[in-house]
Amino acid sequence: MWVNMGPQHPMTHGLWNLRVRIEGEIIKDVDPEMGFLHRGIEKISEDRHYNEIITLMDRTCYVAGLSWEHLFIIAAEEALHIVPPERAEYIRVLSAELQRIGSHLMWYAAFVQDLGLTTPFLYGMRDRDLILDLFQTYTGGRLTYEYMRVGGVRNDLPLGFTARCRQVVDWLMDRFVEYDRLCLSSTIFRERCDGLGLLSAEDAIAYGVTGPMLRSAGSRRDLRKDRPYSVYGQLQFDVATANTADVTGRYLVRMEEMRQAVKIIRQCLDWLDDNPGPVMASQLPRWLGAPYAPVGNEAYLLKRNYPTGLGFSMVEEPHGEAGAYIVNDGGEHPYRVKFRSPVLINIWAAKRYLPGYRVADIPPIMGSVDVCVGECDR
Amino acid sequence: MSSASLFSVSDTIAAWLLAHIAYVFPPPVKGWLTSGDVVLGLTALIFSAILLGASMINVIVLIWWERKLLGRFMDRRGAMHVGFAGLLQNFADGLKLFRKDTVRPTQADELGFWLSPTAYLVTSLVIFAILPISTGWNGGSLPLTLLLALVIFSFAPLFIFLGAWASNNKYALIGGMRSAAQMIAYEVPILLAVVAVVVLAGSFDLTTIVMEQRNYWFWAPLFLALIVFLTGMLAEMERIPFDLPEAEAELVEGWNTEYGGMLFAFFMLADYVRYLVGSILVVLLFLGGWTLPSYVPSVLTSFPLAGIVWFMVKVYLVFGVFVWVRASLPRMRTDQLLRLGWMRMVPLALLSVILAALVVAAHCLPVLGCVPSMGG
Repeated sequence: MWVNMGPQHPMTHGLWNLRVRIEGEIIKDVDPEMGFLHRGIEKISEDRHYNEIITLMDRTCYVAGLSWEHLFIIAAEEALHIVPPERAEYIRVLSAELQRIGSHLMWYAAFVQDLGLTTPFLYGMRDRDLILDLFQTYTGGRLTYEYMRVGGVRNDLPLGFTARCRQVVDWLMDRFVEYDRLCLSSTIFRERCDGLGLLSAEDAIAYGVTGPMLRSAGSRRDLRKDRPYSVYGQLQFDVATANTADVTGRYLVRMEEMRQAVKIIRQCLDWLDDNPGPVMASQLPRWLGAPYAPVGNEAYLLKRNYPTGLGFSMVEEPHGEAGAYIVNDGGEHPYRVKFRSPVLINIWAAKRYLPGYRVADIPPIMGSVDVCVGECDR
Repeated sequence: MSSASLFSVSDTIAAWLLAHIAYVFPPPVKGWLTSGDVVLGLTALIFSAILLGASMINVIVLIWWERKLLGRFMDRRGAMHVGFAGLLQNFADGLKLFRKDTVRPTQADELGFWLSPTAYLVTSLVIFAILPISTGWNGGSLPLTLLLALVIFSFAPLFIFLGAWASNNKYALIGGMRSAAQMIAYEVPILLAVVAVVVLAGSFDLTTIVMEQRNYWFWAPLFLALIVFLTGMLAEMERIPFDLPEAEAELVEGWNTEYGGMLFAFFMLADYVRYLVGSILVVLLFLGGWTLPSYVPSVLTSFPLAGIVWFMVKVYLVFGVFVWVRASLPRMRTDQLLRLGWMRMVPLALLSVILAALVVAAHCLPVLGCVPSMGG
């Protein structure tokens, strides 16, 4: 019997359809269908100024907006041959790591909700609010930030931000202990999660699965270590891994990643306290600073005698490895933009890690994937 | 303990009403109206109306109690805006559901679809007629009230499965199957746990069982049976961690997926009626019903309707435990649930029956404070 789990289904956490062939309660085959949320972000980007694409990046993944801004900014700066000031890099890394905690908390909330744990769901959402409050103080937004700019960030951190941020992460470190006590020490939780959704490292690599799902299988691949971008090379942190390759392993990896993110955030805050400075590059092409197009002046929109270039970036986004490829043909707009979404591939590998388990195992397994359909469909 | 009983109250109301109505009629009708049979008939009607009203109000307060407790567990405040501390929120919600259209899927079986929620609610409500709330405050005193209550309580899987099958939806069907399997599996440990109580009390009559707890409440010797009964009740009530028939993560809403509006309200109400009945049974069987231990100062037990007050306090506390469980445990899987039922709960229940028999046997020993009337 084929059962449609989606597009409107509590398990999907977004707009996608998991078609499941079941015999009794056992899953025999799955067929994920994505694309319901396709908004053509890559195509729209070809008609926008570089700084205007940042708006789209927030909408690409609505729980990890700053991570995607970071991804795009790195590629755009490479394509446009712009070097941002170091302080901006630190603020970006700080934002990306805060965003990682926020995204993982959102994942935690949704995941435990799928298991029927309603209390930790609200705890996760409550604590994510603290991160959003922090974002609000320096980006003005809680969900879509439009904060990073080609050549730096929009504004510096407000006064007293570092102290407040330290308070928040200290508080969060205590909450992580509480989360583990609510979940890991619960026998029912372990019975629901241990040994489910097994995906070995070889299979994961063969399918292109990345992020916590890959690291839960024992792999130590983390782009922040393997291919350091931004200022990650100067920061000390460990790669979170587990070796169970199951749902519990993914839980452990994400929890440890949040702790490591706190470690990175503290280092960033220390550096930012000691090193005031500009947050925007001084030598920017004029049209990047104020992207407006005088009506009727077609020449403004066309080639501006700016050097062409290719930009490629890969960042360790909360869900996995995201990639961006930008072709700059010297115009106002990128000639072509292409993104790699980790979630798309992580979902698609469901064909490998879902069959053989029970219908009741679908929510924990798919929950452990951390689905964000916005970036999956783009 | 108050000497008034529910029956005498409704009898007084009926006689008073009929006397006043008969006043305007000529003598032959007047005589018939005030005759014993008519008064008895009206008494029964008033009696049922009071029971229905009281149980419905209690059910709605129970929903409020759950929402507030859950809110506190989750670090929030629950409903706050309608009425004092959100007390009227559920009436507002009920009104909203009442105003909604009830939609029947075209492919659904008409009779089963309409019958299921009504029958589910009615059979759940019927149990209140035989549950004693305090001395004299029950519908009828039968020698087998406990058995009858449990029998009516176990009608539920039939109607749930009927509704699930009739609504012609895959999720509903899977949910209904799970519900039937789970409820039937957990009938066994529940009945065995009840047998332990019956062995100790020597009666199937709930009033007698409560009266037999005057020396000690049964949870102390029958702690195992209490655990089994609570677990089994959680499964019968389909609450977290045993709410797999309506596991919303995979089955949308389980067996009531296709129900909306007032029909959904019926299911919802019937569910809470069953929660209330379950909590009442726990209090009656294990926590001494409306009685308090003898060392409690008499000022706490001598005010009017003290029995009912203490009974309700206990019921709401027991339900609070169910809410606590819901707030802290994740959902189990069907196979794990059934394994728990057959491999853990049934042996534990059997053990508690043996324990109860031992306690009865030990009553001839003077150390335990010999109670000659104990035992069947």
